[in-house]
Amino acid sequence: MTKYVYYPGCTLYTKARSLDQCARKAAEKVGFELTEMPSWNCCGAIYNATNDDLAAQVGSVRNLAKASQIGNKLVTLCAACHNVLKRVQNRLDAPGNEVQSERLKTFVDEEFVQPVRVLHYLEVLKQDIGFEAIKSKVVKPLAKLKVASYYGCLMVRPREVLEFDDPENPRVMDDLMRVLGAEPTRFDFKAECCGGYLVVNRRDVAKGASQKILDNAKEWGAEAIVTTCPLCQYNLDKLRATTDGCLPVFYFTQLLGVAVGLGQGELGLDHNSGDPVGFLKSKGLL
Amino acid sequence: MATAYSSAELLDQIEALSGQAVSDCYQCGCCTSGCPIGEAMDPPPSKAIRLLQLGRAADLLDSDGIWMCASCMVCGTRCPRGVDYARIAEACRALILRSKLSRVDPDTVAAPELEEIPQQAFIAAFRKSSV
Repeated sequence: MTKYVYYPGCTLYTKARSLDQCARKAAEKVGFELTEMPSWNCCGAIYNATNDDLAAQVGSVRNLAKASQIGNKLVTLCAACHNVLKRVQNRLDAPGNEVQSERLKTFVDEEFVQPVRVLHYLEVLKQDIGFEAIKSKVVKPLAKLKVASYYGCLMVRPREVLEFDDPENPRVMDDLMRVLGAEPTRFDFKAECCGGYLVVNRRDVAKGASQKILDNAKEWGAEAIVTTCPLCQYNLDKLRATTDGCLPVFYFTQLLGVAVGLGQGELGLDHNSGDPVGFLKSKGLL
Repeated sequence: MATAYSSAELLDQIEALSGQAVSDCYQCGCCTSGCPIGEAMDPPPSKAIRLLQLGRAADLLDSDGIWMCASCMVCGTRCPRGVDYARIAEACRALILRSKLSRVDPDTVAAPELEEIPQQAFIAAFRKSSV
């Protein structure tokens, strides 16, 4: 079984445990293993886009250096960690940025042993495992569940750095959902911003942005939404006025877990608002 | 914003910090029309850049709009001139924060919200908006 060095990040250890737990267990079902990187630290939570602020990059630089001492790939799951690590890596390697890069590397006092490629879990599934191989591991097809795949900002932008998918119409999660037996819906707001960290001090603005996303998913007939970002999941799931009759907002790893046969107790469904257990039962998935 | 700098000096600093040239913008408005926070953002991206083009950097630094940008990067992705407004807003915020004026005070976030909002959001909000 192929082993990958895995960077969970802070949020996946606490408020987004179900994203992490399902991912680790589902990985073993589809044929790879996530080995948690030892002594990792916070990635910095958000990328600092000013040209001169090196201190904000240090956390990620240290993680990348530590990872390079173990392997040449670092797997992420949280969209924010992925975005930050990938952009800091890009900044370190950017032509013309050698002086800053050297300063940062000297500061963290950790040796860079080899180039590290930051890979999202979805990229491992698609590129290394292959969706066809995953199809053969599906024991509980998702019963043509109509799923809107929500990518948000951090997985797809900036396009030239993330190199993940089409920033206007990403499809990786849609393709995965199809392989798992779900029916991906059209979704115009799949890469629109949920309001992100504005929830901290402008909850009203984040609520408005999130509601538009939910409304659009519903308009296209979605029965559920999947995402890979703890903050998107929170904003979509928790800012709405009521969860009665609303779309459940799952981590994609939860539906992956269902499809590859994880038990109800392994899905972390107590995290989601409303009645996710009842919903999945009504679809014959639990 | 109380500042010792002229608008021209502020513009120099904003361009240096953001790596963006405001004169590249031809005011098509693509950024503003695609901005998911646009209706709550005053001024929205294209107007903010226009203020800079007109030598009114100090007015932009005084505005609420630069704090509304969630760094979602839609504007920069779609800009036909390759101007990344998210970076310009970041530079404006940095100029203010470096003058020790926090926008979001960690001490005033309410307790129930501390319990439930993912910590990634807190660190992100404080990184973007606090000294």
